Amino acid sequence: MIWRKAVYLMQEAVRTLSRHRGITTMSVVIMSLSLLMLAVFLLATDNVLRVVERAQRDMKVYVYLEDGVGDAAVRELTAAIAGMPEVQTVVFVSRDEALADFRRQLGDDADLLEALAENPLPDGFQVTPRVENRNRDDMAYLAGRIMQLGGVAEVRYGREFLDRFASIVRGVYYADVIVGFIVILSAVFIISNAVRLTVISRRRTIEILRLVGATNRFIMAPFVMEGALQGGLAALTSLGLLFGVTVVSRRVLPDLAFFTADKAALYVATCVAMGSMGSFTALRRYLRVR
Amino acid sequence: MQEQRGQDRTVIGVYHLTRRYGDRVALEDVSLTVANGEFVFVVGPSGAGKSTLLRMIYMEEAPDEGQVVVGEFVSTRMKRRHVPLLRRRVGIVFQDFKLLDDRDVFENVAIAMRITGAGGFEIRRRVNQVLGQVGLFHKRHDMPHALSGGEQQRVAIARALVNHPAILLADEPTGNLDPDATDDILRLLFRINSAGTAVLMATHDHEMVRNFGQRILHLRDGRLYEDERTGLVGNLNDRLEAIRTERERSRRVREEIRRHRLDAVAAAGEPAPAGPLFDPLPGAPGAADEEETS
Repeated sequence: MIWRKAVYLMQEAVRTLSRHRGITTMSVVIMSLSLLMLAVFLLATDNVLRVVERAQRDMKVYVYLEDGVGDAAVRELTAAIAGMPEVQTVVFVSRDEALADFRRQLGDDADLLEALAENPLPDGFQVTPRVENRNRDDMAYLAGRIMQLGGVAEVRYGREFLDRFASIVRGVYYADVIVGFIVILSAVFIISNAVRLTVISRRRTIEILRLVGATNRFIMAPFVMEGALQGGLAALTSLGLLFGVTVVSRRVLPDLAFFTADKAALYVATCVAMGSMGSFTALRRYLRVR
Repeated sequence: MQEQRGQDRTVIGVYHLTRRYGDRVALEDVSLTVANGEFVFVVGPSGAGKSTLLRMIYMEEAPDEGQVVVGEFVSTRMKRRHVPLLRRRVGIVFQDFKLLDDRDVFENVAIAMRITGAGGFEIRRRVNQVLGQVGLFHKRHDMPHALSGGEQQRVAIARALVNHPAILLADEPTGNLDPDATDDILRLLFRINSAGTAVLMATHDHEMVRNFGQRILHLRDGRLYEDERTGLVGNLNDRLEAIRTERERSRRVREEIRRHRLDAVAAAGEPAPAGPLFDPLPGAPGAADEEETS
C-alpha cells in the first residue's frame, strides 16, 4: 500500500512539474541565479583556502647551526628535535648540500658562486612539523624550543609570511560568515517564494484533496518531491553556469580550480534539501489554516 | 430502508452548536440529528448559516460552543489529523462542483480512492461502477470542461459516493444549474438516498423542495426555526400561520393561472389543450410562460 502510494505520488510530482512547465521553468531559473551567487562565493572561498592550505603544507622550520659542531653533536641534536611532539621529520642538510641546492636554484646565474672563496653557508636541519602543527603559534613555540638547544645559531620559520596568511585566513573567514549568511538567506527567501508561487497556482487542487479526505502528508509529498527536484535542477544549472565562468576566468587566473566531485555532490545535495525544505515550510504554513 | 443496529441509527448529531464570526452570529444554539438513510433539506436565505452548518459537519471549522457527532467522530474529542478520515466517510458536493480540470472524469473520481491507498484494480472496478450509477460511464475519459454543468455535478456526486459514505452533504448542488439539470440532480440524489445513503442538502430555494415530502429544516439568521417533519423546533403558532399564508398564496396563484389559460383558449377559439399532468408550481418556468402568452 505504501509502495503504491509512493509510486502514485512520484508520478504526480513529475506530472505536475511538466504540466506547470512555465512556473517550473521560472522558479528553476530564479533559483539557479540565486544559487549561482552562492556557488561563486563558495568557489572563491574554496580557492583561497586551497592556496592557503597548499602554502601551509610546505611550511618548514629551518635550523642553522654554529660553525664547528661535530658529528656527535649533530646526532644528538637530530635526536632531540625528532623527539619533540610537533615534529614529523628532521633532515640534516650539510653546508655542501645547501650550497648545491643554492646553485641549482640560481640556475644560469650559478657562475656567481665561483667568486666565493669558500662556502659561506652553515650546516643545518630542515624540520617538517606535523600537519596539525603547521600554524603560526605552534611553529613559533617549536622554533623557540629548538633555539634553546646547544649549537643552534638561528631558527627561521617564515614568520612574516605566516602572519600575512593568518590575516588572509581570518579575512576569508569573516567574509565567509557575513556574505555566506546574506547569500544563503536570500537564496532561501527566493526559493520559498518560488515555491509559494507554485502552491498558490495549485490552491484549488489542494482544497479539493483536503475535501475528499487526503492527509496533509499525502498533499505535501508531491510538492516536497517537486521542491527537491527543482532544487537539484537549479543546483546543476548553477554549477554548469559557474563552470563556464571558471573556464573563461582561467585566462586570467590559470590556477583557478573548480569544485572537486565530492564538493559538487555535497552542493547539489544541499540544494536538494533546501528545495524540499522550502516546499515543506511554505506548504505547512498554508495547510495549517483549517 | 433496512433496519439498522440500535446505536448506529444516527449518522449526524449536532448539539447546541454556536458559531460567531467576530460580532456576527452565524449559528446560534442549533441542534439536529440525521438518521441513517434519511433525506433532509436545510432551507434558508443566503447568509442564514447553511454553509457554516455544513462546514462544521465536515469539520472544516470548529464550533465555538456545542458539538458535532458524525459516526464515530466527535468534534470536541477528535484530533485534527483525524479530520481526513472523517472526510472519507462523508461525501461532499458543492455548487461549483470543485473538479480538477486537469484530469479526466475517471481520475476525478478515482482521486478520492487513491488518497486511501486503494489498489489499481479495486479503483477501476469501483469508479466504473459509480460512474455507471450517475450515468457517465461513457464519458469517463472526457475532461470536465467538455461536460455540461449537470454532468460535472454528477461527476462530483460520483466522487462523493466512491468511498461508500454514510452520508452525502450537498451545499446548493443545483445552484449553478438550469431547471432540467436541477431535476436530474435531485432525482439522482433521491435515488442515492433510496439505496440507503443519508443525504443532507442545503438550498435557498424552498419552492423547489417543498413538495417532495422530505424533511425540511429552516435556518434563518443562524437559528433553526422550523422542522416540518417533527415540528419540535420554533414557535408552533408562527409555523401554522406561515403554512396558512403560504397555502393561501399558492391557491390564489394557481387560480390565476387557470383563469389565464381559459382566457387564452377562449381568445384563440380552440378546444382546451391537454394541460400538463400537474399544475405548474408557482414561480416555476411553466407558470411564467402561461402568464406571458395571455
